[in-house]
Amino acid sequence: MKSRLLLVFLAGLFSLQALAADPLVIYSGRSDKFVKPVVEAFEKETGIKVLLHAGGSTALLNKLKLEGDRTDADLYISNDAGNLQKGSEMGLFRPISDEIAQVIPANYRAPDNSWLGLSARARMLVANSEQSQTDFVKSVFDLADPRLEDKLAITHSGNESYIAGVTVYMLAAGEEATGDWLQGMKDNVGGSVFNKHSKIVNAVADGKKAIGLVNHYYIYRHLDQHPDAPLKVIIPDQGENGMGVAWNVAGVALSRHSQKVEAAEKFLAFAVSEKGQKMFAEVNREYPTRPGVPAADEVPPRDSYKVADVPMARLGDMRNATLDLIEEVGMP
Amino acid sequence: MLKIADLSATQTVTLPLINSRMTLRGALSLLVVLLAAIPLVFVIHSSLQLDSEGWVGLWSSRLPGLLWNTLSLSVLVGVGSIVLGVSAAWWITRREFPGRRIAIWLMVLPLTIPTYVFAHIYTTLFDDSGWIGQAWQWLFGEAVAIPDLFNVVGVSFILTLAGFSYVFLLVQDSLSRSQQNLEEAARIQGARPAQVFWRINLPLMRPAIAAGLALVVLHVLSDFGAVSMMRYQTFTLSIYLQMTGRFDYNAAAGLSLVLVSLSLTFLILERFFRNRQRYYGTAQAKRYTARRATRFEIVAIWFWLGLIALFAFVLPILWMLIWSWEAWMQDLISDRFWGYVGNSLLVSVLAASLTVIVALPVALYHARERSWLSQAYLHVSSVGFVLPGPVIALGILAFVLSQVDILYGSLAVLVIAMLIRFLPLAIQAQEAAAQQLTPSMEEAARSLGAGTWENLRRIILPMIRGGMISAWVLVFIDTLKELPATLILRPTGFDTLPVRIWIEASEEMLELAAPAALMLVIGTLPVLWFLMRPVKQR
Repeated sequence: MKSRLLLVFLAGLFSLQALAADPLVIYSGRSDKFVKPVVEAFEKETGIKVLLHAGGSTALLNKLKLEGDRTDADLYISNDAGNLQKGSEMGLFRPISDEIAQVIPANYRAPDNSWLGLSARARMLVANSEQSQTDFVKSVFDLADPRLEDKLAITHSGNESYIAGVTVYMLAAGEEATGDWLQGMKDNVGGSVFNKHSKIVNAVADGKKAIGLVNHYYIYRHLDQHPDAPLKVIIPDQGENGMGVAWNVAGVALSRHSQKVEAAEKFLAFAVSEKGQKMFAEVNREYPTRPGVPAADEVPPRDSYKVADVPMARLGDMRNATLDLIEEVGMP
Repeated sequence: MLKIADLSATQTVTLPLINSRMTLRGALSLLVVLLAAIPLVFVIHSSLQLDSEGWVGLWSSRLPGLLWNTLSLSVLVGVGSIVLGVSAAWWITRREFPGRRIAIWLMVLPLTIPTYVFAHIYTTLFDDSGWIGQAWQWLFGEAVAIPDLFNVVGVSFILTLAGFSYVFLLVQDSLSRSQQNLEEAARIQGARPAQVFWRINLPLMRPAIAAGLALVVLHVLSDFGAVSMMRYQTFTLSIYLQMTGRFDYNAAAGLSLVLVSLSLTFLILERFFRNRQRYYGTAQAKRYTARRATRFEIVAIWFWLGLIALFAFVLPILWMLIWSWEAWMQDLISDRFWGYVGNSLLVSVLAASLTVIVALPVALYHARERSWLSQAYLHVSSVGFVLPGPVIALGILAFVLSQVDILYGSLAVLVIAMLIRFLPLAIQAQEAAAQQLTPSMEEAARSLGAGTWENLRRIILPMIRGGMISAWVLVFIDTLKELPATLILRPTGFDTLPVRIWIEASEEMLELAAPAALMLVIGTLPVLWFLMRPVKQR
């Protein structure tokens, strides 16, 4: 059939074109606007061309898995440690050389160095400072308190950050307590959840909701645009017996079937360098995972509060269990 | 060529040999059907690996809820689309009123807006700070809560706006072709207008309504963009989550199999209702001429059509224009943006052209043969439309990687996926046109010595040109808007407009999503104009 010939011809045409350019390919599940500045700085410094292939973190991981050794990807960036660990379990990555990996603390990378966390986000509480009914809240578990009926704003349970947070609480407090907590929150949200974290902060600032559970940078992004917003940040679960704040990392992995390992490692080295770390984290007001590189000025310094002591790799192992629990409770 | 012509000239006399001519179409159709069946094979193969325990798990936990969600959504959207589509088509064909041409355009234009753009725009507009949210609070005060769109009613609202145009197009086409003599005959016999409507018009419209409804419901069943933005769990969304969230391809395939059976049942029912009646129009009969509308009717018609147009097109396009203007002022529209436009057009033109060619044998085969086999071909080739986009993408990916991996990573894979996905659209449109081509014409040509190819070139193709054009336009539009399969199958770094809309919208970069959505509308305008032209000439 003529059409077949045409297809083969086109196929040839396009694969030739791809070969000619031969850039370093990054599958990126993180926002283009956050990754691009880092990539551009890297291109400028090394002269290596980078091709960003954007998409959903999980969808790209599936693509990587199905493609096997045919993949174009040299690197994979995800906003969620759970995804990175899943990919690692499926054997999609190869270990990153020690000298690069060891810059990052062990909690924030894979046990076998198959991925590195580059920037961290904290699950924090944001409350309306003009409403006093949230004064008793010290822990995320207080969000299930009946006193907060209709006052609570959370995101939907398909959100990766939310799932990761629940995993941390489950590891710290056990499955049963977490199930009860989810049930209590379900009763408190007043029938509907928010599809975007930014809308949670808006609703709290407007006084429509009294308190919300979000990634910390959404609060500071809002405060950046509305410095007078009546918002109060509550860093939850502190004190001697507190489990600490749940963190999740965005990170990067080296594809098992990459043909350009050398160039890819150059990118990794750049990403964990002080300059790269600052750029990667600062555009989104996240915490650089490399010790000694400070976060943006407005966010609480990393040493000023306690972080839950959960290796990020557990976010991958435990994800299906978390999803089962969320489904069982029937969180929207 | 001559030899074949000679042969077929004699074939008309000796019946048994006609079959050998049919088998050429049959063989080509079989090839096409095999291609179309690739994703189905993948689904069946994967779901066979799901053990009985897995099936029991699916039955007990997920299936009842999903079935209910999916069916109730389909029914609501189906009813909504019929109400909007049929009422608009009826007024527009039966009354002559100022701005009638504009009204036709306004009813068709919503087709250019993808469901996920509708979803994104309306969730924004219904927000506290959105236009509708503000208007609502101004009208009813703070006490009455703004309607929540994240439920079956909200999702139906959005999918109805995005889909009713299919019903409108087909019903309007059938109404403007319908002939006056039947109605006159009924009236002469003393039937009242209502009786004429129920006993003459409605039965005549039924095939068109059924076909339009089929398109709408299949779009609902396979929709990914809107339901995922609004987190309404239908089969398609659940399959996608199962696949990407849990890497559980077998359970996803199991769910897909249920969805496919559901959709095929629906399609077979639709075919069944449509097959019971066939009308061959005669060229001499008088076409219906629209009556001039009274002043009261003009107001009523424009109130109703204007209301539909406001929600289905005017509000969304205003939103796009305002945010695009914002982007333009901030100088956000770069060369890269024009690259996305080019990519989108390239894929859509390739896919539409190929699909029309590939669909032709199946359409002709069925239009002539009407056997259980041709019927079966038709159903199997519909698989592309009833399987969720992500599943088709994975099926094709698996096939290409294991069989023709030289193609992998090229544009060809994406084009093949679009072909398989939208093949049924092209087959339906062309088959509908081929049905009107009475067998006697072909026979006449054959008796004058025309062979298979000459017949095709000089009789069939010119006669069904309208159908081919509609097929091309429908596939073009759907490819231009396609999201889930493109997300998975596009060559590395190859971004189309829908992909960019998806990425920017999920990052809440409205001023970047809007120009891309606007370009989709603008890109569809010329082909829509092409599709609508014959309407004007009638």
